[in-house]
Amino acid sequence: MSVRDTPVTQTRAAVAITGLVKAFGGRVVLDHVDLTVLDGQIVTIIGQSGGGKSTLLRCVNLLERPDDGIVEILGKPVCAGGRVVCPDLAALRQSVGMVFQRFHLFPHLTALENVMLAQLKATKVGEREALRRSVELLGRVRLSHRALAFPEQMSGGEQQRVAIARALALRPSVLLFDEPTSALDPESTGEVLGVMRELAGDGMTMVIVTHEVPFAREIADHVVFVDGGRVIEEGPPAVVIDRPVQPRTKAFLASFHNGRSA
Amino acid sequence: MFHDGLFQVPWSSYAPDLWTGLLRTLGYAAAGFVGAVLFGLLLALMRLNGSGWVRFPARLYTEIFKNVPLLAIIFVTYFGLASIGIRLDTFAAGTLSLVVFYAAYLSEIFRSALAGVHGDQREAAGALGLGPVATFTHVVLPQALRLALPGTNTMLVDLLKSTSLLVTIAAAELMTNAQLIASETFRALEVYLVIAAIYFVLCYPLSQALLWLERRVRRGAPLSLRRARRLREARALLAGES
Repeated sequence: MSVRDTPVTQTRAAVAITGLVKAFGGRVVLDHVDLTVLDGQIVTIIGQSGGGKSTLLRCVNLLERPDDGIVEILGKPVCAGGRVVCPDLAALRQSVGMVFQRFHLFPHLTALENVMLAQLKATKVGEREALRRSVELLGRVRLSHRALAFPEQMSGGEQQRVAIARALALRPSVLLFDEPTSALDPESTGEVLGVMRELAGDGMTMVIVTHEVPFAREIADHVVFVDGGRVIEEGPPAVVIDRPVQPRTKAFLASFHNGRSA
Repeated sequence: MFHDGLFQVPWSSYAPDLWTGLLRTLGYAAAGFVGAVLFGLLLALMRLNGSGWVRFPARLYTEIFKNVPLLAIIFVTYFGLASIGIRLDTFAAGTLSLVVFYAAYLSEIFRSALAGVHGDQREAAGALGLGPVATFTHVVLPQALRLALPGTNTMLVDLLKSTSLLVTIAAAELMTNAQLIASETFRALEVYLVIAAIYFVLCYPLSQALLWLERRVRRGAPLSLRRARRLREARALLAGES
C-alpha cells in the first residue's frame, strides 16, 4: 500500500524555502538559505554539527520560527518575513511528520497508543479506525509484537521505528528526519534505515538530516551540504558526494572518510 | 475511682457520635483535598507562566501560606473573619483553611512535576499537530501526575490527620467528639488512645492504597476507563491477528 493519498506529481514543490534567516541571540545560524523539496523527492541534508542542518529542518514545520524568509508547504505560504502566516499551525504539522534524533516517544503510553494519540486528539479519527491503522503501521515497521510495550521496555531502534509509525499516522505529505540514527547502535541503525528505505520505495517525500553519508548517497535524489548557516553545494548525490566542487564540501567528506577509516 | 482496668468508657453508647464524627472528618478531608488540588494546580500553572505579573502573586501566596501554621489560618478564617462580619460556618471555615494551607504545598509539588516533564515532549506533541490544550491534557498532565503522585499522597494523609486541628473550632469531627466523650467520662487516656487508633486505622490503609496506586501508575496501568477499554480492544485485535 502507499503512504500517500494523492498520486505523485513531480512538478509540485512539497517544501519551498527562500531566503531563510534564523539567529539565536544574535548568532546567525541560517543565513539566507534556499531549499526546495519536490513531491516524491528524497532530500538529504549533510554537514558538520552546528552547521544549521537541524535548525533548517525545524523551520520547515515551524518548531523554530524563522526570523526572515519564506516557507511554503504544498504551495501554501506558512511563514513569511518572520511572521507565521499559516492560519492553522496544527493542520500544517499534520501534513508534515517529524522523526527526532532522540525519538521523543510519550513514555506513559504503549507503542500502539503513541501511534494512536494524534489520530484521536489532533484529528477526529474514531477509536476503531485509529486502532486498526496503528496496528497496521506498527506492522509496517515490523513491531506488531511490541505494540503493547512501553518505550522504556524497547531498544533504541524499536523506539525510533515506533516514532516513524507515529509520524506516519496522520498520513503526512512530507516526512522530516532529524538525525534519526545518531542516537543508535549499528544494529538499530540498520533496522531504522531499512524502514526508511521502504518508505522511499513507497514514494514518500522525505527530508533527512543525517551523518550517514553512505546512506545519504544511496537513498537521496538530492543532497544539500550545509555549512556555517549556508547551502554550500547541492545536487544529485553522484555530484555532491562523489565529485564535490566546493572545497568545504570536499573537506567535510574527506574528514568523514578519514573518520570512518580511523 | 476509675483505676480498675483501661477500658471503662461505654463505647457502644458513643458509637453513633463517633460514626458521625468520622464521616465529618472524611468530609473535611475530601472537600479540603479536592479544593487544595484544584487551587494548587492553578497556582502551579501560574508559577510556570511566562509573565512575571502572573508568577509573582502565586509565588507570594505560596511563600506566605507555607510559612504560617495551619492553626493560625483556622483561627483567622473562623474567629478573625467573624470579627469583621464575615461569618463562615464551621464546615466552610474548616474546609477553606485546609484548602488555602495545602494548596500552597501542593502547588510546589505540582510545579516541580509539571516542570519535570521534558520540553521535548511538548515539542513532539506539537509536531504531531496536537494543540496546546490536547498537549497539556494528554501528554504533559499524565506524565506530571506520575511525578506528583508520591508527594501528593503524603500530603493527602497529612491533610487527613490535620483535620483533627479543627477541634479548636468545634468542627464536630472525630477529635471534637473525642473531646466531648473525654469530658463526659473523665477517661482522657482511654478516649484519646481509641481516637488515635481510629486515625491510624483510617490513615494506614489509605497510605498503603496510595502506594499501590503509585506502583500501578508507574507501570503504566490505565487510570481512565476509556484508556482501559482502548487497551482491552487493542489486546483483542492483536490476539486475533497473530
